[in-house]
Amino acid sequence: MILWNRILVGVDEGEASLGAVRYLAAVLGGSNTSKVRLLAVFKPPDPDLEPDPGALETQAAERRLALEARLAEAYHILVEARLAQENVSTDLVETNGRSIGETIMAEQAAGGYGTVVVGRRGMTKAEEFLFGSVSSNVVHQATDCCVWVVA
Amino acid sequence: MPEDGLKRRAEEVLGRPLDRVRIITDTTQFMELSRGDVLDLQGKRYLLTGVAYEGRFGLDEEPKHWVKRALDLDDGGQKLIKLVFYEQFDLPIGHLKVRCYRSPRKEARILELVRGRPEFMQGLTFLDTAGNEVRVLDRVPGQSMDRVLDAQRIDHQTYFQTRLKDVLTKFMGCLEAIAFLHAHGERHGDIRRDHIFEHSGHGGWIWIDFDYNFELAESPFGLDLFGLGNVLCYLVGRGIPILQDLKRDRPEVLERLDSGDLSLVIPNRVFNLRKVYPYLPEELNRVLMHFSASAPIFYERVEEMTADLGPALALLP
Repeated sequence: MILWNRILVGVDEGEASLGAVRYLAAVLGGSNTSKVRLLAVFKPPDPDLEPDPGALETQAAERRLALEARLAEAYHILVEARLAQENVSTDLVETNGRSIGETIMAEQAAGGYGTVVVGRRGMTKAEEFLFGSVSSNVVHQATDCCVWVVA
Repeated sequence: MPEDGLKRRAEEVLGRPLDRVRIITDTTQFMELSRGDVLDLQGKRYLLTGVAYEGRFGLDEEPKHWVKRALDLDDGGQKLIKLVFYEQFDLPIGHLKVRCYRSPRKEARILELVRGRPEFMQGLTFLDTAGNEVRVLDRVPGQSMDRVLDAQRIDHQTYFQTRLKDVLTKFMGCLEAIAFLHAHGERHGDIRRDHIFEHSGHGGWIWIDFDYNFELAESPFGLDLFGLGNVLCYLVGRGIPILQDLKRDRPEVLERLDSGDLSLVIPNRVFNLRKVYPYLPEELNRVLMHFSASAPIFYERVEEMTADLGPALALLP
């Protein structure tokens, strides 16, 4: 069942996702009516792009560490805004061949989250065409939930 | 084959004498391989006849030392042999840059995927004794389609009246071929007009060179679509009009243009070709406008492009 007060927040290494977390903290601060899950999506480095398996493992480990650090930072922002610790959780999942936006929305569907929150980096139209955008992907795929895009 | 027999066979295939032949089983040091060397790849032997040269605009005649010209010692067939060379660099695209990686593994995988499909170059991948993925490609007889089209000395309106429908029909086949790659989770990676060859025999168009790759998480096929848009604009306009050229040659056209008529990514290229060539059908121009700065939505899949281009093609003379 989809519940509006189950909130899924996409977190990555970028500053925009922290901006989204701060916005959420400002909106929900002091309230205990919502459950917030902070979700970082780990995309393993592509073996096509790095022939050295050792270097590939190092890159993967660095990427994971950066995401875990960002999750911890986001968690503290919410707790400091007086969200109850038991209502805030963190998770790191893998893309498993999907885009980051698809992975977030798969977690949304699986967990019955009524609200999805993502940051927006302010890409140009050309960048969005060539490289795609997580927030646009999330918005395009959303069918049974509310999406907050924090720019 | 004893060395005497091998030298004799190599000379027979080459059609002239060789000072010596050297059998190579490890291609790691590709700079050291030269004409007269015979690559032994899992029992198949190829005589190297020289190095290939870059055909890219502005880089003509630059040797590509990791790509050798060769002859198959079994049947004398002409081959291009791509040796393992890893490089990465920032590819400039308009004002943007994208990290580009040369990936032998990706090209080997695509060669396997497209085996027997005439819209793609064909080849086999062998492992040398050092584990390098060496790609042995059948040489496509012919030249890149842009050279073929550029050689036709006719004005644009005649081209539109007499050739464009055939040209775009061939391009539809190229689009369907790229859709096939995407459906299998692969991308071409380096879509340019000189990466489509026209077979000198049957005239079919053939995609070549699949070894570029990029880390594109959210829009895995965005760069391919960008390339397809450029190729389409080139084909429809028989050259993409550039603002500087219009200013010099057709200033009255320049006055009709605004920023929304230009390429979304490379803003000195005109994509609203109907303002340059008013006889182009609106339906065809609309496909091009998906790649322009004024596009409200982009193509995200090749099938969306073919769905629009098919009906537009039917309207052409």
